[in-house]
Amino acid sequence: MNSAIHRWLTLPLVLFVGLSGRAQEIGFTAAVDRNSIAAGEYVKLTVTLTNSQEGFEAPSFGGLVVVQGPFESSSFNYVNGRMSSSVGRTWMLTATAPGKYTIGAAKARVGGGIIQTEPIVIEVSKGAARPNAPDAAQGQARDPNLFATISLSKNKAYVGEQVVATYMLYSRYANIELSKYDLPKMDGFWAEEIDLGDTNWEDQLQTVNGLQYRVAVLKRQVLFPQRSGKLRIAPVELSCVVNRSFFNRGSAVNTRSNAVELTAMALPPGPPAAFNGAVGELEMVVKTDRTEVKANEAIELTITYAGRGNLKLIEAPKLNFPSDLEAYDPKVTDKISVNASGMSGSRSFQYLLIPRHEGEFPLEPITFSYFDTRNGGYRTIQAEPVTFRIAPGDGGPVSAIQRPSKTDVEMLGKDIRYIRTGDLQLRTAGKHLFGSIPWFAGMGAPALAFVIFLGWRRKQERDHSDVTGSRRKQADRVARKRLSEAEQALRSSDRNAFYDALGKALHGYLADKFGLGPAQITDVIVRERFAAFTNGEVVAKDYLGLTTACDMARFAPVEDRPKQQIFDEAVALIGRIEQLVRA
Amino acid sequence: MKHFLITTALVLSPVVHVLGLSRPEADTLTARGATAYSTGDYTTALHLFDSVRTAYSSPALLFNIGNCHFKLNDIPHAILFYERALRLAPGDEDVKANLELARQNVVDRVNELPSFTLGSTWGRLRGGRDADQWARRSLWACLLFFALLTAGVLAGNRAIRRALFGAGALVLVATLIAVAFASFRHNEVSDDSEAIILAPKVDVRSEPRESTTVLFVLHKGTKVTVLQTDNGWSEVQLANGSVGWAPPSTLERI
Repeated sequence: MNSAIHRWLTLPLVLFVGLSGRAQEIGFTAAVDRNSIAAGEYVKLTVTLTNSQEGFEAPSFGGLVVVQGPFESSSFNYVNGRMSSSVGRTWMLTATAPGKYTIGAAKARVGGGIIQTEPIVIEVSKGAARPNAPDAAQGQARDPNLFATISLSKNKAYVGEQVVATYMLYSRYANIELSKYDLPKMDGFWAEEIDLGDTNWEDQLQTVNGLQYRVAVLKRQVLFPQRSGKLRIAPVELSCVVNRSFFNRGSAVNTRSNAVELTAMALPPGPPAAFNGAVGELEMVVKTDRTEVKANEAIELTITYAGRGNLKLIEAPKLNFPSDLEAYDPKVTDKISVNASGMSGSRSFQYLLIPRHEGEFPLEPITFSYFDTRNGGYRTIQAEPVTFRIAPGDGGPVSAIQRPSKTDVEMLGKDIRYIRTGDLQLRTAGKHLFGSIPWFAGMGAPALAFVIFLGWRRKQERDHSDVTGSRRKQADRVARKRLSEAEQALRSSDRNAFYDALGKALHGYLADKFGLGPAQITDVIVRERFAAFTNGEVVAKDYLGLTTACDMARFAPVEDRPKQQIFDEAVALIGRIEQLVRA
Repeated sequence: MKHFLITTALVLSPVVHVLGLSRPEADTLTARGATAYSTGDYTTALHLFDSVRTAYSSPALLFNIGNCHFKLNDIPHAILFYERALRLAPGDEDVKANLELARQNVVDRVNELPSFTLGSTWGRLRGGRDADQWARRSLWACLLFFALLTAGVLAGNRAIRRALFGAGALVLVATLIAVAFASFRHNEVSDDSEAIILAPKVDVRSEPRESTTVLFVLHKGTKVTVLQTDNGWSEVQLANGSVGWAPPSTLERI
């Protein structure tokens, strides 16, 4: 870049003047050779009217004294078939006292209107000769022959709104090389450089406070403020070498530009949900190449954002495609140009969609929200809803059984399970069956009932207990006891006692055995009872015979058998009866 | 047997206030709550479900209240009610799933001791039935036991009597098991030693007093065990065994 400047700056100034004649525009300028002088020095004022044959009035000199002039000059150029002309008047002015003098506007009547030049302020200092040589200005911040500016396309902008910053170099040196410059660090901005190609001097001279400068645009940047508040752009530092020639090594001149401040306004609160930071003047277009396809055929869905704004910051929209629609990551196509008017163009996102199953797939409406700098508010664009109608894929006539390929059920989101509806099976709070009175009652009632049942049953048993049974069991024992009494009587030869005991033993035994009362032991009943047993008649006959013998011997002193024999028969009989009953 | 009777006589009847809300009214309120929930009006749904809770309770009701809290992004309360629902119905899959999801929002990660699992059969046995179901079973088993005993006493034939007594012994074992389960579940349900931290951040201190040493910091939704309380402060124990005192009204018992 430096070399480019070098190349251009070493060209003679005349060439620029010559080139400047190509336009047929009417120009009217007033220029001085310098705007600060010491008292007594001269200022040359030149008023030039180009491409007009009209006359013009001299400006008021505001207290400056005309030393010489006016000198009239006129020129006429004819370059490449284009004609240009200029008329000029030159005055030499001076001031005797220090102070500020203002040269007023010169007026010219052109085509029925009046055009004016800018007023010029001349500062006149005291008589001492002021160092005017460029060499002496080295290192000073302000050199009237060289300065740089930063200008913004606007001083107030919303966060994210683009602002164009232009860095310009003004020079009055005939020969200048830019050796080095540092662009300021951007704090709070996202900057995008505008490609200007080689730096070159503009054709037209610019008049700043009466002095004519050659102007070069060093750089242009598109700035996007990233936060709200006062954002400052620091000055640009420039190092130049001026007046270098074959005979002269030239001299270094440093200068720095002004600093500028941008007021970045925060975006209004409450952005729409779909807002993702886009600011500018934008439009959205949603296009699909087709909406009715067969399964497994590709669909192209293109979303294009176009307009002016921070297009490069626009991200792919978050689209919720139906889950059976296979979507690939979008292809991003930028047609963005960054030029002196800022960033403009379009950014497209091209989605490739492949439906895997037939059916209707309505796409969620695609919305785009951005901050519109034209009216200072959010704007939401909603695209027309798109519905894809997918026909069954090509399979041809069914020759074999077709099965759809199995896919896992895809979990798309997580949420809690739904509430219980219907009967919630409410129960009285704090009431439990376990440990409650009904529970204890329920556990105790069967037990109680059982205890009562057992008690009742025992009583019944006692009431109906089998007395005869126990007598029967004890019959043998009682009989033996009486027999032993009889045996004692036999030994002591007590005849009455013997027969008495033996009779009781026989009677008692049978009464006990058959559960009979003493009066019931009759011949008939004894025979009946014994009839139930086998050989019962024989035993009954023996029994009856024995008792008769006993009775006879007790009441009559007659003994048909010895006592010992009777006793043995009685013992044998009881044993036989016992055997008979058990069997 | 006598033991039961004596106990029955000694136990005082628990006085239950239904607060003037009849069962059909409660069902209407919960149905309205479900409708409000389905339309996304979680605040109204929560209010309706909650109005029933003072008088009636059920795992499903607590689950629904938990869901309302979750949807209103009140995670600690959601966890609290899921835990309450889970205590009444330990095996409930829906409650477990939602509790799992809610717990993902809890900041504190306490290394819980691995829970003792005796296989899913035990869990299903213990969990699927609540205390009242076991209590009902114990009642039926008890009745059957004495019925068998009575039949055995009355039986004339010795073999039949032996079979009846054998069956009775089996039923007695079943009765005891049912009572044990009912008692176990009852204790489990009545146990309110566990609590959920509701305050966003709780400094757990070494003593139940302000400006004592902060032992650790708990965040909302964390489950703790309350060991004792003193002057409103609760001595809490984490699952990993750490113990400290939490200030009043920072937690709620499950």
